[in-house]
Amino acid sequence: MKQKPSVSQVLLILFFILYMVIPIIATYVFSVATRWDRTILPEGYSLEGYTTAAQNPYFFKTLRNSLVLSLSTVLVSLIIVVPTVYWVHVRLQSAKSLLDLLMILPFGIPGVVLALALVQVYNFQPLSRSALLLIAAEVVFTMPFMYRSVSNSLAAVDISTLTEAAQSLGADIKSVLLEVIVPSIFPGMLSGSLLVFATVFAEFTLARLIVGAGFKTFPMLLVEYTRIDGTIAAALSVISFTVAWIASMLILWVGGKGVRSTQDIVKAK
Amino acid sequence: MDNIAKTAKSRKRWSAWLGLIPFLVFCLAFEIVPILLLLRDSLLLKDGGMTLSHYGDALAPLYLKSFINSIKLSGLTAIIGTVLGVFIGYAIYRWPNKRVQDFLVTLSDVTTNFAGAPLAFAFIIILGSNGVVTQFLLQYFHWKIYPDFSVYSFSGLTLAYVYFQLPLMVLLIIPAFAGLRKEWRESAFNLGADTLRYWLNIGIPVLSPSLIAGFTLLFANAFGAYATAYTLTGSRLSLVTLQIGFTIAGEVLHDPGIGQAMAILSLLIMGSSIVIYQIATNRARRWTRN
Repeated sequence: MKQKPSVSQVLLILFFILYMVIPIIATYVFSVATRWDRTILPEGYSLEGYTTAAQNPYFFKTLRNSLVLSLSTVLVSLIIVVPTVYWVHVRLQSAKSLLDLLMILPFGIPGVVLALALVQVYNFQPLSRSALLLIAAEVVFTMPFMYRSVSNSLAAVDISTLTEAAQSLGADIKSVLLEVIVPSIFPGMLSGSLLVFATVFAEFTLARLIVGAGFKTFPMLLVEYTRIDGTIAAALSVISFTVAWIASMLILWVGGKGVRSTQDIVKAK
Repeated sequence: MDNIAKTAKSRKRWSAWLGLIPFLVFCLAFEIVPILLLLRDSLLLKDGGMTLSHYGDALAPLYLKSFINSIKLSGLTAIIGTVLGVFIGYAIYRWPNKRVQDFLVTLSDVTTNFAGAPLAFAFIIILGSNGVVTQFLLQYFHWKIYPDFSVYSFSGLTLAYVYFQLPLMVLLIIPAFAGLRKEWRESAFNLGADTLRYWLNIGIPVLSPSLIAGFTLLFANAFGAYATAYTLTGSRLSLVTLQIGFTIAGEVLHDPGIGQAMAILSLLIMGSSIVIYQIATNRARRWTRN
C-alpha cells in the first residue's frame, strides 16, 4: 500500500530541511563570494578567502596543532580504553556498571567546569596550561565515544569463547591478542577513533580555556577570524565542516550502524 | 567448594581488578579528583575556614542574572527542540518512502557535526544585520527584523541553539516511535478509540520516558554549551558558561571563589538533568528493546 504524505507532513519536512541546510549552504557560498552584504545573491565569486587564509602563517600552524592534538587524543584513548573494555568484558563483568557510570560522567560535566578544575589542580610545570594537559582533558571528554564503539563491537562477538578456543588450540597470549581480539574489535576501534578525531578537531572550549594562545588550534583561528574577516572565517568553517563530514561518512562506511547511540552525538557546542 | 578453591577464586577476582588500575588512575587524576578539589575550594575561605559565602556571592544579582539567562535559554531551546523534534520525527517516521526517510536521518546525523563556532558564524551570515535571510525578508516581505531581533542577542542565540537541538531530538525520538507497536493501535481502534484517545491513553504514556529523556538531554546540551555562545555574543549576553570561562581566561577580574561556586552550581544543574535523562532512557528502553 503506497500512501501519500499529508500536507502537514510535507510542510514539516520542508521546514526541517530548510532550517538544517540554509546555514550550511550560506557558509559554503559566503566562502567563495566577493561581496555579499547588499544583495540576495553574491556580487561575484572568487577563491580569495581560501588563498588569503593559507597565506597566514598561523593557518598551517593551527592546522598542524589540531592534527597533532586530535591524533594524540585518539592514541591515548585507544591505549587507555581498549584494554580496559576488553578486560571488563572478558574477566571482570562485575565492573561493567562502574564503567558505565564513569562513561556517563563526562556528559554531566560542562566543558568549562572540567577546564576550570584541571587548570586549578595542575598549576605546576610541566603540566600547567600545557598541550599535554589539554590532551588528557580531551581524552576524558571523548572517552564515552571510544568506549561505546569498542564495547558494542565486543558485545557483537563472543570474545571469551573465541579466546578459549584459540588457547585450547595452543595459541599464546600474543597471537590471541593479534589474531583473535584485535580483528574482531577493529571496526569498533576505527569508528571510535574517527569519532574522537572529528570531535577533538572541532573542539574549542577546552583548547581555548586550558592552553589558549600558547597552542593555537584551528577552531581558535576560526573564532578569531569571525571578528576580523568574514570571508576567511567562512573558508575556515568550510574546511572544519568538511573534515567532520568526511569523518562521519567514513564512520557510516566502516559500518558503524548501531555503533552510535544518540548520546554519542552530543558534542561540544 | 572447599576453602582453598574459594580463596583461589576470590584472589583471582581480586587480581582481575588490578587490570582496571591504569584506567581508574587516569579517570581519578584528570576527572574525579580535580572536580572534588574544585568542590572543596569552592567551600574554603582564604585562611582555610569553611564557608558558603562564595555561593552567596555567586547568586548575587550580577551573577544570578547569568544563571537565569542560561536556564531560560536552555529551557526554551529544549522545549522548542522537543516539540518540533517530535513532530518532525513523526513526519519522518510516517514518510512512505524509505529512501527519503534514510536521507532525512542521515541529514540529522550529519548536521549534528555543524556546531560551535562554524554554526555561530553561519547564523551571522544568514541573520546578521546584512545577512541573506535578513535581506530576503526585507526585499520580498518588507519585514525589517532588526532592531527587534538581533543575531548577537538572546533571540539569535535561541535560533542557533535550536539548530543543534532539533536533529538531536529527531534522532532520539524516531526509535521511540518505532516502539509503538501496530497491534496496540489496531486493538485500540477495534475497542472503539479514536485517534485522540489512542494518543492520550497509549501513545503519549509509552513515549513519555523518551520525551523526558529528550528534554533533559537537550537542556543539558544547551546549558553546557560554550563555543556557540562565545562566538555569537562574546560578552554581550551573560551566560554561566561564559562567566566561568572569563574566570579561567582572566579576562574579567573575578574572585576565584565565585567562579568555583558557579562551576559547582552548573555542575549540579547539568548533572541532575543527565541523571534524569539516564533514568528516563532506561525506562524508555523497555519499549524499544524488542
